[in-house]
Amino acid sequence: MRQRRVLTALAIPLVFAFVAASCGSDDSSSEVSSAPEATDANEDTGATEDTAPTEAEAEGDVDTSVVANVDEVVMGGSVVMGLEAEATGLRPWEDSCASGCYNIMRTIYDQLMEEQSIGGYGPYLAESLVPNADFTVWTMKLRPDIAFHNGTPLTAQTIVDMFPIQQAGAAGSSAISSAKVTSVTLVDDLTVDYTLGAPFSAFASFLAGAPLGMPFDPAAATADSAGYSVNPIGTGPFTMQSRDIDNETVVVRNPDYWRTDDAGNQLPYLDSISFRPIPDEGTRLDSLISGTVTAMQSLRQGTIRDARAESGIELIEYQGNSTGGGMYNTAIAPYDDVRVRQGLTKMNNQEAVIEALGGTGISLPTTQMFSSDNPYWTQAAADAYSGFDFEGGKALLQEYIDDPARSDGKAPGEKIDVELSCPPDPTLIAAMQVIEQVWTGSEQINVSLTQFDQATHINNAVSDTHKAHCWRWGGNGDPASVIDPFVADPETSVANFPNFVDPEMQAWAAEASATDDFETRKALYSQIMVRINEQAIVWYSGGTAVMVAHEPNVKGINNWTLPSGELGTGIPDAAVRWQEVFISG
Amino acid sequence: MPKTIAFILLRLVATLLAITFLTFAMVALLPGDPVDTILGTGPRTPEQVATIRSDLNLDDPFLIRYVSWLGDALTGDLGDSYITDQPVSETISQRVPVTAQLAIMAILIAVLVAIPIGVLGAYKQSKWQDSTSSAAVQVALSIPNFIVGIFLIWLLAVQFNLLPASNWNRISDGIGANLQTALMPSLALALGTAAVFSRLVRSDMIGTLQENFILSARAKGLSDRYILFRHALRPSSLSLMTIVGISFGALLGGTVVIETLFAIPGLGFSLINAINGRDIILIQGITVFIAVMFILINTVVDLLYAVLDPRIRRS
Repeated sequence: MRQRRVLTALAIPLVFAFVAASCGSDDSSSEVSSAPEATDANEDTGATEDTAPTEAEAEGDVDTSVVANVDEVVMGGSVVMGLEAEATGLRPWEDSCASGCYNIMRTIYDQLMEEQSIGGYGPYLAESLVPNADFTVWTMKLRPDIAFHNGTPLTAQTIVDMFPIQQAGAAGSSAISSAKVTSVTLVDDLTVDYTLGAPFSAFASFLAGAPLGMPFDPAAATADSAGYSVNPIGTGPFTMQSRDIDNETVVVRNPDYWRTDDAGNQLPYLDSISFRPIPDEGTRLDSLISGTVTAMQSLRQGTIRDARAESGIELIEYQGNSTGGGMYNTAIAPYDDVRVRQGLTKMNNQEAVIEALGGTGISLPTTQMFSSDNPYWTQAAADAYSGFDFEGGKALLQEYIDDPARSDGKAPGEKIDVELSCPPDPTLIAAMQVIEQVWTGSEQINVSLTQFDQATHINNAVSDTHKAHCWRWGGNGDPASVIDPFVADPETSVANFPNFVDPEMQAWAAEASATDDFETRKALYSQIMVRINEQAIVWYSGGTAVMVAHEPNVKGINNWTLPSGELGTGIPDAAVRWQEVFISG
Repeated sequence: MPKTIAFILLRLVATLLAITFLTFAMVALLPGDPVDTILGTGPRTPEQVATIRSDLNLDDPFLIRYVSWLGDALTGDLGDSYITDQPVSETISQRVPVTAQLAIMAILIAVLVAIPIGVLGAYKQSKWQDSTSSAAVQVALSIPNFIVGIFLIWLLAVQFNLLPASNWNRISDGIGANLQTALMPSLALALGTAAVFSRLVRSDMIGTLQENFILSARAKGLSDRYILFRHALRPSSLSLMTIVGISFGALLGGTVVIETLFAIPGLGFSLINAINGRDIILIQGITVFIAVMFILINTVVDLLYAVLDPRIRRS
């Protein structure tokens, strides 16, 4: 591990100025996620979707199972958590939030809905969420007798008053657009109606996180928006004690928190939590090993590999729906020709790429935007994904090369020019070189490799100047939140990065958003995944593994529950729900 | 003398103008549209894009934007971060004490280490002590400070649990607690600096030791230690004083990697976050601040030099 650390260190000056911490990226991780957090509702939400039960467990040697806590709960104590990045702000309606930020936000704010291990979403601050027949109006009833940290009661009027603030907020306005919300109206003291501009069966997922699902005090937010970022007020299990940005944020137990555990113990168990942003992966792990922090998160498989080799700490790993890989900009030659895309994808040695990314045994190979333990994963989509087939790829490229009408305007017989771009993460550079080696080995392609910092890499995709481009796909949310923007018209959807327009895929996506029948939705999304693979619009490497490592006496990280008693989903995106974490003797 | 000072001040103003212009131009030339970075990959409306462009004056010609920014900057208004909403001047004022403390501690450690090594090297010129210290200095010069930092974390935090691997305790938390978190990063910053200082002291000291007044002191029977530290060191320190000033300025902007490695909330850490988030107003503010501090410190050193050295004054 130490050798690796020094080698990593050698690359630091190259990478430091450009790393995206930000935003919570992984090894494959410096690839970029396109999906907001969201998933589907199920019958517990008040009857939205017939979701198939699922175990949060991945294949292979990666144990990511979620089980109920069996340790004796101890009240009190503190945890110091090392985060990969600081939260730029703590206002749900305004500030964009990634993994590190969610760790803090969820101590201050409760969510209206929450993810469940059985799939879908269950009510949290909400008591129920019920759609009308065509999923255009969602009626949400709040739990009674819940108050903000400042004593202001949480009522339906609060939710109504939040809406204009969310509409004006940088984060809120985007989410409102994605969720298709047009208005929020008062029904009674505890009930509101969300009216949507189109049928949307996945709406509940938008109430399971920032920016729409974390109630805040609208009066305080209006009075001092900037101040709210430093002194946020929610209904959550902890209240803000101090916020020293980029150094330490300390939250302390909310003595009036509304939840108790099954035994009647007041939640939360911990007295306080200190969050410290430690952007360097090695330093964060060393901080845990040396006792400087008691827990840490990571979204990098290299760190998971190093942490696995350490004794004296425990790891919780999670294989989410995010997967590494890339895409072709199908609006430009030669990527506008399916033979080129298929040929390049067939000559992409997935296993070797995962190994180069440091993910062997950590990151599972993927074939679609759903991990193999996700209920939406299908064999049909997996079968449609091209495996490594060098000769098959060569044959397809040769067909294009010999075509007098080839789209790149070159003469028949000339090599194809391909530009592959990834952010300058050392593991991604290694993966690029693996791909380049195979592509160049075909003697059919002139390969050029480029690297831009994360922000520029994203901008290149947004501004459509990209070619073959590393990217991260999927997301721990409802398929609609991932696929709808991906298949939408690129003129209206920034997130259709490959610029691939297929009216059939758009129709399937719309149909899936208009039903809550799980099998129907699964079949529709499977069709889309198959089409994506047949058309070779994107390529996949491995699933994005994340972890939370901690001292052995820190318990309850993976065992959080919903008010219904249902188990939560563990640590998607390495974001911990802290209300049931405790320090055992 | 007044002419010298006037010339130095005129040069200072011209340099500051050039620096602010170049910084502004470099930030403006960064690839990609800052609006895309701010809005990310989610849905966007034309109104949102227009608002951000208007807030950041992105549709104005470059020179107009520069002049407008410079006018505000001259009144102390460096703008507000578009990401955090915090005034840039407030961010800088919060971060400067941290970075300045690291820089001061690093310089102090470097001076304390460099002087004995440099003096020893000069005193024992061409002997094994000189060769050994020169070799050590060469090694110290060739190791990047982040490698030193990683090694220190491994040694002092992981292996011996003597110091925290990361974190920053503010002075308000107590001097002891503060020093606990400041020591390792300061040491990491000090090593390379000490190597440079010691080479300078050694070479200056070798020249000084050949001066007549040293021979005279020796003839009087004064001890070597007395001669070295009371007679030879002071005239050998003029170059050191200059380089200390330059190093301090350089460290203000050069702690980026170390602050990021040790998770220290200084200027460098803030600058990296601003770059990653394309927070152009904050990038401009911090970069200009660092450059201005560097120039000001060097100007002060120039002025002191002129005061201390009659030859410069006369020229």
